[in-house]
Amino acid sequence: MTEIKSSRKTGGAFSKISRRKFMGTAAGVAAAGSITGFPNIVQAADPIRTIGLGVSVINEIQSKASKDLGFSIRGQALGYGALFGKTLNQNDQYEVSECYFDMFDVMVPSKVFQPIDTKRIKDWDKVSNLTKTGMLTPGSQIGQGDAPFRKLWVDASGNPTKGPSRYISAVPGWHNADSLGYNPDDTGRPIDSWAELFSSDFKGRVALINVPQIGAMDAAMGVEALGLIKFGDKGNMTRKEIDFLVDFLTKKKKEGHFRAFWETFGQSVNLMVSGEVVLQSMWSPAVTAVNAEGVPCIYASPKEGMRGWHGALAISAKASGKKLDQAYDYVNWWLDGWAGAFVARQGYYMSTTANTKKSLPADEWDFWYEGKPAAKELPDPFGSPLIAKGAVRDGGSYEQRFKKIAVWNSIMSENDYLVKRWTEFLTA
Amino acid sequence: MSKVSELHHTGLIGRQPEPDEASIRAKISHMEEGFATVWLITPAAIWLILFLVIPLVSIVIFSFWENTAQGLKPAFSLEFYGEYFYTKGFFDPEADRFLLPSVFIRTLGATIYFTLVTMALCLAVGYPIAYFLAMQVQAFKWQLALFLLCMVPFWTSYLIRAVAWLPMLGRRGLINQALLGMGIVDKPVSFLFYSEFGYTLALVQIYVVLGIGPMFFSLAKIDKAILEAATDMGATPFQIFREIIGPMSLPGVAIGMIFIFVMIMGEFATAVVVYGGKTSTAGTVILNYYGIANYPFAAVNALMLMLAMVIGIIVILRVVDIRKEL
Repeated sequence: MTEIKSSRKTGGAFSKISRRKFMGTAAGVAAAGSITGFPNIVQAADPIRTIGLGVSVINEIQSKASKDLGFSIRGQALGYGALFGKTLNQNDQYEVSECYFDMFDVMVPSKVFQPIDTKRIKDWDKVSNLTKTGMLTPGSQIGQGDAPFRKLWVDASGNPTKGPSRYISAVPGWHNADSLGYNPDDTGRPIDSWAELFSSDFKGRVALINVPQIGAMDAAMGVEALGLIKFGDKGNMTRKEIDFLVDFLTKKKKEGHFRAFWETFGQSVNLMVSGEVVLQSMWSPAVTAVNAEGVPCIYASPKEGMRGWHGALAISAKASGKKLDQAYDYVNWWLDGWAGAFVARQGYYMSTTANTKKSLPADEWDFWYEGKPAAKELPDPFGSPLIAKGAVRDGGSYEQRFKKIAVWNSIMSENDYLVKRWTEFLTA
Repeated sequence: MSKVSELHHTGLIGRQPEPDEASIRAKISHMEEGFATVWLITPAAIWLILFLVIPLVSIVIFSFWENTAQGLKPAFSLEFYGEYFYTKGFFDPEADRFLLPSVFIRTLGATIYFTLVTMALCLAVGYPIAYFLAMQVQAFKWQLALFLLCMVPFWTSYLIRAVAWLPMLGRRGLINQALLGMGIVDKPVSFLFYSEFGYTLALVQIYVVLGIGPMFFSLAKIDKAILEAATDMGATPFQIFREIIGPMSLPGVAIGMIFIFVMIMGEFATAVVVYGGKTSTAGTVILNYYGIANYPFAAVNALMLMLAMVIGIIVILRVVDIRKEL
């Protein structure tokens, strides 16, 4: 599950990133979700400690921050499960947790973070409305589930508030939206709806992500698009809704509808490249990776909208004094532009788009954010060639993607029940 | 020391003669030089305490903790044990889950089933290979060479061995291409991969070598003179196998089966890579709950898996008394 959010992949050959990616993927397959750590090696006296997924905890990022800020930052990259557990249970082991808004139903009530004072966030007014109101642009569709704006606002003592407040639970960071990937040669038609996930035309050639929380939402998008059920909130299903969904999936599984269930980024790429699967839940960098193998693959823009996820920088409740000031400095540094440009080259968006634009050359901005064809060959974050001249990013511009998020990655109130039923579904 | 070991190895292969009093005394006096022994044992003991005993004890402790919205809470709660064993409606004749074991027990059951099937196949495939190496290949040089050849797959990582089935069994794999080319089928067959068939095949291929090794060693240990004697006495090949080779190779079979049993019971990656995650194993359940930081329930699942493994090993050791046979 490491790669849930670390879905960066690249067309480039053996750049640093693809090596790390490969190792991450391999370990992810072997451990199927356990820890894949690449502890940062910036060592100095008494550094501040940050933990996160391989998406945001990358040597280059923390080293650059250390250099710019003049104090040492030690990063530890974890798998999703380990990050979740450490953030929740060991908040004396980090100053900053680079976590995700879908964890906040658990993290906010348990008070492992301290409320962040927006007055101390230099570029707070430049953080986009996606996380403040849920609408990137006026009239955007507000997504269901753990949308960042529902988890963002807290009062001075860290309790959630209904509307905007001086205090926030965490500072919004990198984000992206996922949908379906398909091979147009095999499907024979464009895929524009999640309902196609269950079309009998693709029986035995469909794959779903095998992470209960996310797989269930992708499947729910499909079942709802078929008109079989209307969910109250796909990001927080009731037991009845979970039962309906899992019973439907079990029936489909017994019919032999699914070819496989994938767990890591690399597996989803392999399924497509080897021709085993024609349509599956997919992350957009995985589509790039399939294309890089010479296999046609399109990243669908379903009319129902995509499934979004959003990273954030939270400060531990245990941080105080100088460490707390440094944690604020580090968080502010993330919003400043350099980090936004870095993650843009992996296909992720940053909450302070204006700052990112300043730090990205125009060609790169046009490709990554505007959805325009690459005017020239573009590099990955480490400087190796990644995008061929003329290539176009699937899924359109940033605005197109994010003005229609159907549902955000979520952890449901009935999560334990969901995991149990999902296990039953797989055993069936 | 040299005297002791000499005495131990003078007997015929198979049962050893009782050591005489002098050798026992030599052994005892050696053991009394306790200082060196303690030092020799210490590193292993520390290692085992740090990385086996302490983690194991903490798993047991964790399994009784509570998993609240505020994180883990030390407690003595049997909640997750209840969750593991009990399904709502189990005792209710009206419910559709009447007498249906919980999904976790069923998953463990499925894991045991796959393990037993694979063990049987590994025995069926592995024993003849071990027999051939030990009995049919005469020159030691060739025995060793062929045995090493069996080990070649271990030169690559486990993952490669599992993934490598795709180009063979996949929709665009070698077998499908052959079938299509010969006109036997008109579109690729899909039951070969991401299927129970492919899963079992891969498990056998990956783990059979663990069985071949011990079986080969215990077969190779059999003194050929005994077999010649049996032949001279007019025993048929079947009788020789039933009376001599079979019983004398049993310890090797048992050890090989224990290796395979333990490995496959804890297996989770092959199910993902080769079966496409279309089944749950006890291992994947543990991972799922680890992934959502429900450590107490993951611990309960881990303990139940361990319990099943201990029972399995006891059963195997009951059938074959390894100590006696060795």
